[in-house]
Amino acid sequence: MPSFTPTRRTLLKTGTAAAAFATLGPAFLRQAAAQDADLAPYKSAQIDWQQVSGETITVAVIPASYFENLIALAPQFKALTGIDVRFEKIPPAQIRQKSVIDLTSKTGTYATHAADPMYYALYAANKWVEPLDTYLNDKTLTDQAWFKLDDIIPAWRSANGIDGKLYGMPYDGEVTIQVYRKDLYDAKGLKPADTLEAYMSNAAALNTPNERVWGAALRGVAGAGQNMYIYPSIFREFGGDWMKGGKLTVNGPEAEAALAWYVDIMKKYAPTAAANWNWPDIADAFSQGTVASYIDAHSSASVINNPEKSKVIGKVAYARWPRGPSGKRTTSIWNWGFPINSALPEKKRKATWLFIQWAASAETQARTAHKFAGPTKRSGVNRTSVWKDPEYIKLMNGFGENFVEATMGALQDDTDVDWRPRVPQWPAIGDTMATAIQSALSGQATIKAALDDAQRRIEPMMRG
Amino acid sequence: MTAKRLRVFALLAISMIFLLAWAFPILWSVLNSLKTDSDVLAYPPKLVFAPTWEAYRDVLFGSGSILPNLLSSVIISVGTTIVTMLMAVPAAYALARLRFRGKKFAGFYVLATQMLPPVGIIIPYFLVLRNIGWIDTYQGIILIYLSFSLPFAIWLLVSYFEDIPFEMEEAAYLDGASRLKTLWRIIIPQVRGGIAVTVVFVFLNAWNEFLFAVVLSGNTVRPVTVAMFNFVSVEQTLWAKLAAVSVLAMLPVVVLGVVAQKHIVKGLTVGAVKGGGRR
Repeated sequence: MPSFTPTRRTLLKTGTAAAAFATLGPAFLRQAAAQDADLAPYKSAQIDWQQVSGETITVAVIPASYFENLIALAPQFKALTGIDVRFEKIPPAQIRQKSVIDLTSKTGTYATHAADPMYYALYAANKWVEPLDTYLNDKTLTDQAWFKLDDIIPAWRSANGIDGKLYGMPYDGEVTIQVYRKDLYDAKGLKPADTLEAYMSNAAALNTPNERVWGAALRGVAGAGQNMYIYPSIFREFGGDWMKGGKLTVNGPEAEAALAWYVDIMKKYAPTAAANWNWPDIADAFSQGTVASYIDAHSSASVINNPEKSKVIGKVAYARWPRGPSGKRTTSIWNWGFPINSALPEKKRKATWLFIQWAASAETQARTAHKFAGPTKRSGVNRTSVWKDPEYIKLMNGFGENFVEATMGALQDDTDVDWRPRVPQWPAIGDTMATAIQSALSGQATIKAALDDAQRRIEPMMRG
Repeated sequence: MTAKRLRVFALLAISMIFLLAWAFPILWSVLNSLKTDSDVLAYPPKLVFAPTWEAYRDVLFGSGSILPNLLSSVIISVGTTIVTMLMAVPAAYALARLRFRGKKFAGFYVLATQMLPPVGIIIPYFLVLRNIGWIDTYQGIILIYLSFSLPFAIWLLVSYFEDIPFEMEEAAYLDGASRLKTLWRIIIPQVRGGIAVTVVFVFLNAWNEFLFAVVLSGNTVRPVTVAMFNFVSVEQTLWAKLAAVSVLAMLPVVVLGVVAQKHIVKGLTVGAVKGGGRR
């Protein structure tokens, strides 16, 4: 994929650009002046952005439009700080593996990387990454009045914190919401579900496989970030508690009821293939009109509203998670955050912090979202203030009825820091649970047997 | 007569079913690579559609061009193949013909390196390369690829060398040829087929390798197998582009296969019990 070290091609391009500038001198000057003005909002921060000018850092991100937009602004960061940022794009499954290898071997290859919130417990236990409060409280590095940490969505900050200490700065995130076909619901006089029970009956009412419309779809494919992304919400809504009496517990009556609900809706009202679907597949199916509703990340709205492939534009509406028997709604608190690699020398750590501060700042968040010049605008900005910006709200409302209300409501009221068990052993636990959920779904094991077996496997992990 | 015809017909039908099962993914990729994103998702699947080169244009000349990655793959695969063959041919000859101390052990050692599951040695390899500063370099990746292509190539070639009657060599010696000259003039022309087969397998394994490449590569050296994966993003799977890259990545291998086909067919029968390489 595209690399950001100069290749022959980009050099050629730069050459052409230089030639163009030579002939268009005055225009170039105007452009340079414009770039000066561009930096003004950052320069109002009372810190010396240039303090480690000349440093180079490597940042690993995943291939996604919200990072592409940030990469596009990197020249502004360079102009502001004199720091060179090399971006490396790594697919989500491999970025965890590569960053853990980098952190364990203390090689300091990646100054920071797009980190999975579930990994901070592991990172912090091994002191692989820095507690960010050191940087936040250093007046030479952070102007707190300018940065406004409190403006960053609290649920995501707590997702990235361990024992009250922040380890990764949220850059982009998501909540899970109900996405439904308003036209189909209206035709049957249905309302978006307020309870999981109602969600099931809505799905039943709309499930007409003969007409190639299925009632609902949830992530089915096994994986810590796939079926074990959607199941924890159901588990919590059924009143499940991962840490029963201080002991990690994945079985028990609440877990059985939650898994039974999941297996039930998937078997009865989802396409058979959904057992192997991740969310892009669900969104693809929904965009083709074959699924009446799904519960997944709000960011999928951009796919189902993509005019190049969606057939349901204008027919989509949104609502918050249906309530579970416990009365709770529980959304994912997923976000991509940036930690600081402890293996770096001091100057590079400072450079990394300046990069993180810049990327997470309200100004950069706005410039990568509604103020972004390119075609894709971000829907996962990290700041409450941006979510209240009328311009941003207008843009987001283009995704369909109730989008902003559902997303904001979920962000404010449905988040739950214990959505998934945050322990250093998570990677292995997540995989074990994913296998258990899948074996229950495929009927290889009964619900109780699958969960009890998972519990048996998880216990030694927690002791070790 | 009818019984015989029936049997031929049945065999033909069975082979058609197998052929279809094997060819389908490739045909499907080719079809999808020529579709627009909306046609890819259409149901029922469209067999008749307006083909477009858009996906190819995008992956070749768009912002996420894979041309540098194809170049990386070529350098890695050709490099691995050349170095492997330069070392494997003499080694295999020595194992097949010479008598020396520790020959049995050497033969076993070559095999033993094939027995480790690749996943288990990724991190040690990463650490070694990191310490010598060879992460994300061509020499680093080629070095690691040699660790499995070389044993495989030696192992495969030894059996070809062993098949050559010793009398041919003796005749050459009697005529006054040296050992090296004999190897070059007499033996190697005899095992041309075996060498061609080995080249194809070594090249194929290096070209298709993903597991090591994804960990040991970076921005500078990124083979197409790794780059391709970025079309499966967290936001959406770009099916048409993914298919287009797959077809492009398949082409060199197909060309090589066709060129070497005669030798491969012969090689497959000769070396039928030798098994495949590490993927």
